[in-house]
Amino acid sequence: MKKLLVVDDEEEICDFLKTFFEEREFEVQTANSGIQALDSVQAVNPQVVLLDVHMPGMDGMSVLRQIKLRFPLVKVIMVTAIETQEKIEEAMRLGADNYITKPLSLEYLEKDVQEKIGLLTGNV
Amino acid sequence: MIVGLALFLTGLAILWTLSALSAHRFVSPWVSRPVFILLLMTVICLLLYKPLDIAVTQLFKNYFNRKKTFRQMTLMNLAEELALVLDLQELANLIVNSFGEVLQLKTVALVVPSRMRSDFEIASAFGWNVSDYRKVRIPDKSALVSLVRKNGPHVQVRERAVRMLSWQDANKLTQDFDALRAGWVIPLYVKDELTGLIAFSSFVPDASFDEADFQFFREFSRSVAKCIYNALSVQELKIANDELQDIQSQLIQSTKIKAIEQLATGIAHEIHNPLTIISGKAQVLLLKKDRSALDQQVEEVLKTIVKQTKRAADITRKLLMFSQGSGAPKESLKLEQILEDTIALVSYQTSLDGIEVTKSIGGGIPQFYANVHELREVFLNLILNAVQSIGSQGRIHVEMSYQAPDEIISIQISDTGPGIDQEHIDKLFNPFFTTRHDAVGLGLFVTKQIVHRYGGSIRVESQKGSGSLFTVRFPYSEASKPMAPREEAVSMTLFPEG
Repeated sequence: MKKLLVVDDEEEICDFLKTFFEEREFEVQTANSGIQALDSVQAVNPQVVLLDVHMPGMDGMSVLRQIKLRFPLVKVIMVTAIETQEKIEEAMRLGADNYITKPLSLEYLEKDVQEKIGLLTGNV
Repeated sequence: MIVGLALFLTGLAILWTLSALSAHRFVSPWVSRPVFILLLMTVICLLLYKPLDIAVTQLFKNYFNRKKTFRQMTLMNLAEELALVLDLQELANLIVNSFGEVLQLKTVALVVPSRMRSDFEIASAFGWNVSDYRKVRIPDKSALVSLVRKNGPHVQVRERAVRMLSWQDANKLTQDFDALRAGWVIPLYVKDELTGLIAFSSFVPDASFDEADFQFFREFSRSVAKCIYNALSVQELKIANDELQDIQSQLIQSTKIKAIEQLATGIAHEIHNPLTIISGKAQVLLLKKDRSALDQQVEEVLKTIVKQTKRAADITRKLLMFSQGSGAPKESLKLEQILEDTIALVSYQTSLDGIEVTKSIGGGIPQFYANVHELREVFLNLILNAVQSIGSQGRIHVEMSYQAPDEIISIQISDTGPGIDQEHIDKLFNPFFTTRHDAVGLGLFVTKQIVHRYGGSIRVESQKGSGSLFTVRFPYSEASKPMAPREEAVSMTLFPEG
């Protein structure tokens, strides 16, 4: 089973992504904060995490650092409203696997997530 | 000489009269003796020579002096009126032309300190070609200026000044006099400050001016110097005022940009989330595996929702594109490829509108280190601007070339549209300026900001009725040298076009 964790403080965003990926036979967990996200990663052990950068409290970058430290095999795709060189470089340095901007293209996102899972299981 | 001649003639007349008288008998015979006549003539000559000489000299002097005084009066009157002229150029023209014409000189040049005060230049000249005198520069440390500074307000006479120096110094001074085509130089002093020089030459090489003339020149220079001092001050004030205005408008512009930056960043954060939700939910339905459930009409509506949310997001993205500054991610780019892709992108639209797009791309264009979105934005905005300007039926020509000696990548986009009103040209690159009711007015503004970010320039040439030409020049400098492309492309097209 392909497992995906969606992290965004906007519940509606988590909802439609859950619907979308569940229809594509993913097991989808959602989290609305950084702390919740770390708990879920530990509990669910997803292959891919879609991680919002701007969140109140613990932001996406801190969550990314923790995930990569504790669960290095988990692929993390950063999602943000603003794309800047510094943010991208920071994310890449912390080990992010991609960096995409809102609004999302679900076709592109699906392709990217499938690709990351393929890489993980060696089925590219 | 003249007096002598006159006396001689007078003597002859007397001789003749006496000879005639001697013929009569009632005149005593000794009168007719030549010795007596000679004696008489000598006495007359001795007595009358001096008064007559003085009288005749005075007569000549009076005649010439009246003429001279009249000229001097004219010039002094002019000097008084000049005080009202505050424009340096106008003042300089008046001085050289009047001085030259009234004194019937060959050349007159008015020399004033240059703007940087490091040397002197000719503000206006009489008897010169404009192109000749514009080139003349007399350094502050030159022999002539040093001499003038040493000797104060005295008129400098070339021959006299040169004679008093060693041959090396004389040579340098001669060069300065030659540069000004002058035989005489009148310094213009206000108190101890040298505000300029009047350099002139006469038609007769050895024309001499006497002490009285020099006295007049000094008086004239005192009046003129003050006028020039005032005009120079006014000019400086004007320049300072212009600079201040420039800085002010830059400040206003940067304040405006700062405000838009804050607005854009805020909007991007706050608006992109709801847009993501609207567009995301529509996409979930559109990309449903079970498509049969979707009504044709609903599908159209969903597509419109996705398209319009992208449009809304693009507006903030455009605003962000310049507010991000150097923060936008960069990579090594083939500009010609981006340009061709952009032309391909608009080709459907242009073919519908009957617009022919031609291109000529030169060889040897180096890779450019930049943000792909930004460069695409520049080309797209300029081409779309041309398309919208033409409306329908016309031609757009796109040209890209690399000027190797200057290391400049140049892009020119010309159209056969109706051209731009002169009054609109200055505002063309302002934010939210548009002449179309359906446009936001950010395209060219963003384009300019992006071009400037890469150290480039953008220029528009247009005349009403004869199309427009936009020229973008990117300097291919060290700052834009190509680097290894990133392994993973993080930039992507969010939605397929259309």
